[in-house]
Amino acid sequence: MNRSEKHDEDNLWQYIDPERIEVAPENFTHTVMTRVRIEAKPSKIPGRIRTISFVPAVSGLVILILIIIAFVLRGDYQDAPTLFGLIQNIDFPVLNINLESLLNINLPVWIPYLFVGILILGIFDGVLSGLFQRRIR
Amino acid sequence: MDDSADIKYIEQILAGKIEAFGYLVDKYKNRTYNLAFRICCNHEEAEEAAQDAFLKAYRSLKGFEMKSSFATWLYRIVFNTAISYVRNKKKRMLSLEDFPVDATDFTGTDISEEEAVKEYRNALMNFALQKINEEERGLISLYYYEEMSTGEISDFTGISKSNIKVKLFRARQKMLDIIEKVEKNKLKYHEQV
Repeated sequence: MNRSEKHDEDNLWQYIDPERIEVAPENFTHTVMTRVRIEAKPSKIPGRIRTISFVPAVSGLVILILIIIAFVLRGDYQDAPTLFGLIQNIDFPVLNINLESLLNINLPVWIPYLFVGILILGIFDGVLSGLFQRRIR
Repeated sequence: MDDSADIKYIEQILAGKIEAFGYLVDKYKNRTYNLAFRICCNHEEAEEAAQDAFLKAYRSLKGFEMKSSFATWLYRIVFNTAISYVRNKKKRMLSLEDFPVDATDFTGTDISEEEAVKEYRNALMNFALQKINEEERGLISLYYYEEMSTGEISDFTGISKSNIKVKLFRARQKMLDIIEKVEKNKLKYHEQV
């Protein structure tokens, strides 16, 4: 549809001057280019990935330590079998690892409490960080 | 300067030459600013919206598939940016009394009567634009100022052609009503004086 056909259709054209154009301010290009240089830089994605992948590695390590402790510690009841002992009673062949020197390590009794404490603090920290990140977003 | 020149600059930008983007900004700044102004109805907001649109265009230049011209792609970004910009801002509702009463209010020492009438009509049009919603403003701008056909606007906005016609019809009616009310208000004012 050309302009004259459009003109015939409605009265709004009499108020419109299509030749009239609002001109951008003088320093417009300069401002845009400054913003492009400052704001349009790529974000540091590799660093972020490293931080994120560090968390499961730590939690995996903690779980591994807890498993080892469960094998090693006997608790207050000396007669109670260790977890390793229970596994040995199961009627299927288990790898015979010489854990004697490991079993002789005399760990303080508060060690399991410490790890449980770390675990609880870790969960608490995770919940808090999730809450704050949601608020920032 | 044609589309091939734009493509040349885009290739330079993608190759890491940021300064080439300056040529595109300089080339399209007035038309993008004009479109943003028609939708925002305010110079400060139009400048901010147009700048944001250029920034968005720069960031998403890798995704520009060159199916349409760079200009069309850019105007689409400006159109959407300006509309969402207005939506996020709370606007003061204008009353009819906010409009200057007469064309004589536009006359200055270095302006002819004919130019004063043109200024008056332009101000009247901008005033009426402020009274309709941002989407209607955008469509009016594309149809009347950018002189796009309803088919082109449909391609541009992704709204069906029949829907564009309905929306344009409503927007036009609203604006003509506002203009009529302003004109009547002006007559009342003159009768009182």
